[in-house]
Amino acid sequence: MKKQKMSVAQKKEAMWSYLFVAPTIIGLVVLNFYPIFSTIYQSFFKTGDFGLGNIFNGVDNYVKLMSDSTIWQAFWNTIKYAIIEVPFGIAIALVLAVFLNKKLAGTSAFRTIFFLPMVCAPAAVAMVWKWLYNSQFGLLNNIFGTQIEWITNPKIAWISIGVIGVWSIIGYNMVLFISGLQEIPGDYYEAARIDGASGIRQFFDITIPLLSPTTFFIVQTRIIGALTIFDLMFMVMDKTNVALSKVQSVVYLFYDYSFNIGDKGMGSALVVILLIFIMIVTVILQAAEKKFVYHN
Amino acid sequence: MKLKKITALMLASAMALSLTACGGGSDSKGGSDTPAEVNLDGDFKVSELNVKIWDNNQLDGLQKIADKWTEKSGVKVNIDVVTWDNYWTLLEAGVQGGDMPDVFWMHSNTAQMYMENDVLLNLDPYIEKDDAIDLKNYYEGIVNLYTRSDNGAHYALPKDHDTIALLYNKALFDKYGVEYPTDDWTWEDMYNAASKITEAGKADGVYGYAVNVSNNQDGWYNVVYDYGAQIITDDHKGTTIGSEEGKAGMEMVRKLLSVGAPQSVVGQTGTDSLFQSGLTAMITQGSWMINSFYTAEHAADYAWAMLPYADTNGNGACDKGERYSAYNGLGWAASAKTEDPNAAYSLISYFCSEEGQKMQSELGVTMAGMLGASDAFAAAFDGMDVSCFIKVEEEGDLYFRPYTRKTTVWEDKLQKKGGFLDAWQNPEDPAVMSAACDNAQKIIDDAIAAE
Repeated sequence: MKKQKMSVAQKKEAMWSYLFVAPTIIGLVVLNFYPIFSTIYQSFFKTGDFGLGNIFNGVDNYVKLMSDSTIWQAFWNTIKYAIIEVPFGIAIALVLAVFLNKKLAGTSAFRTIFFLPMVCAPAAVAMVWKWLYNSQFGLLNNIFGTQIEWITNPKIAWISIGVIGVWSIIGYNMVLFISGLQEIPGDYYEAARIDGASGIRQFFDITIPLLSPTTFFIVQTRIIGALTIFDLMFMVMDKTNVALSKVQSVVYLFYDYSFNIGDKGMGSALVVILLIFIMIVTVILQAAEKKFVYHN
Repeated sequence: MKLKKITALMLASAMALSLTACGGGSDSKGGSDTPAEVNLDGDFKVSELNVKIWDNNQLDGLQKIADKWTEKSGVKVNIDVVTWDNYWTLLEAGVQGGDMPDVFWMHSNTAQMYMENDVLLNLDPYIEKDDAIDLKNYYEGIVNLYTRSDNGAHYALPKDHDTIALLYNKALFDKYGVEYPTDDWTWEDMYNAASKITEAGKADGVYGYAVNVSNNQDGWYNVVYDYGAQIITDDHKGTTIGSEEGKAGMEMVRKLLSVGAPQSVVGQTGTDSLFQSGLTAMITQGSWMINSFYTAEHAADYAWAMLPYADTNGNGACDKGERYSAYNGLGWAASAKTEDPNAAYSLISYFCSEEGQKMQSELGVTMAGMLGASDAFAAAFDGMDVSCFIKVEEEGDLYFRPYTRKTTVWEDKLQKKGGFLDAWQNPEDPAVMSAACDNAQKIIDDAIAAE
């Protein structure tokens, strides 16, 4: 294809459009691309104090990480967290969205209530839950009269953390679902009603397929979000909590390496592994999109 | 075509970015290469100094002392409190990003790393010309800590020193009919008392004693030293935690754990919170925490005693080397890149002068870093006797808080699975504790080898 020369007006227009996207592009480069590449670069070094005096050591960091069982445990912990947060966060949000999309009294009040967790600082949310879960003074055990060690029993702790994640994300997912629901033309439901389809039948045969682009978007962003989870574990789990090793996420371990122990090279290598892992997951999801997402 | 253009744009901006980054770096370096003229007679270049600390309990008192300095110098002092964890993250980021507070605290965990990288202002030229400061007047261990080994320069002045004591709740001892701790207690006596209270307090969920694996300096380290072992040897190149003495000390700790609050409890509620909620009768704590107990709701029930000792020779009396308390001292340091080193040093000098140190004791902020300037501290807490913190220096021995070049690396590992956490979870089994001592020996040896 032969490229046509741009006219002066076109050039001017192009310049303006670049100018308009420049803030975003510059932001991306400075805040995202530059750190990504310097992280990858750093992951091949044994970093010195304060990131000075780095010594190149090839793939040593990676080899060390790969042979460390705590890393694999952290990956497994992160995946377990995602397994709780993503499906439950989506299913509950979808049901709520369908109900709150109806014209009933007080819907906006409920929408606000369900969205509230999104407005709270994650650290504050985690602190409140930490005390709710406290096995001696916590509200949960006191109300139910139980003796459950919510966050110190390694068998339960990961679920407890996952519940906080679900609770925090429902509102956000719900808002996305509501906007998705409002895109669906009312004609479909009208036609279905005339044909005598029940509410449940309408939900499964109209709402879910037509909502699939929104659902897919949420699934994809939430999986990435869940795989990079950090603040919940950091705030809720004490350093000496027995269950920590069964709950700590990959990013938590990254924090530990980079800032507690001060080994930035190892920390960088760890997030690069996480980055590759997330890329693979994303590729798989993109392939799945063609199969599961129904485009109108 | 479009893609090509975007890439070009990206590269261009990346280049511009790196250019500005370099520019900034070389500028500031140029500034620090030429040492500023030492002039402590006032007339400072700046109108305010930013100070960062991590302990909220000390904020009011230190601000009062700083305000006194402001009266003389005319330079405003903004003291900012950041939590311990964030403090180090911030400071490290400050070193890399160049935005450091002017004056801040240094700690034995990290001092060596900061000194060796020329991040801190070398105070020697200023100390030389300053009549208010004579390093001989301060605790030797603290002065040594902030002295760089290769050039002997001093990078921080001793701010304070702290010791450890036993804190108990009189109301709980009364309730369960157990006699109060005395200054003559051995660890065995403490074990017996803790055992009685835990047994009697079962129905109320009250424990005799609580110590977390993270309560090292203020907890189990002291027992190890009492039994004749060292967490870090005097030359900072090894440990004797895996020796017979080390294991004997940790065996005593295990016994205390077996009658104390279980790990599942202390792992989610701090020992201080347990104590203040009346759920544990005894904890060991450092002098830097007094204020938080003095101002607590039930402060009238709280009392302090000297740390128990280990009667290793069995003669029924406390001899030399049988009662150890850790001591540590923070240092006031200044950033090497501070705008006006004279002002920064002048503030540090005032904090560490006899006047500043005595005021610090009187206000009950902390004990002094200067020898003999802590007496007023014992009287600073009306109605609470804290003299045992000073008494332990006279009647017992002090050891400096164990540190190496990268203390946090092994300190963290000791507190986790594979370290002493295993033993904290199984306090009934002496074999687990013994194995944990061997692991700890290896953790510390490996960490030092990697430094």
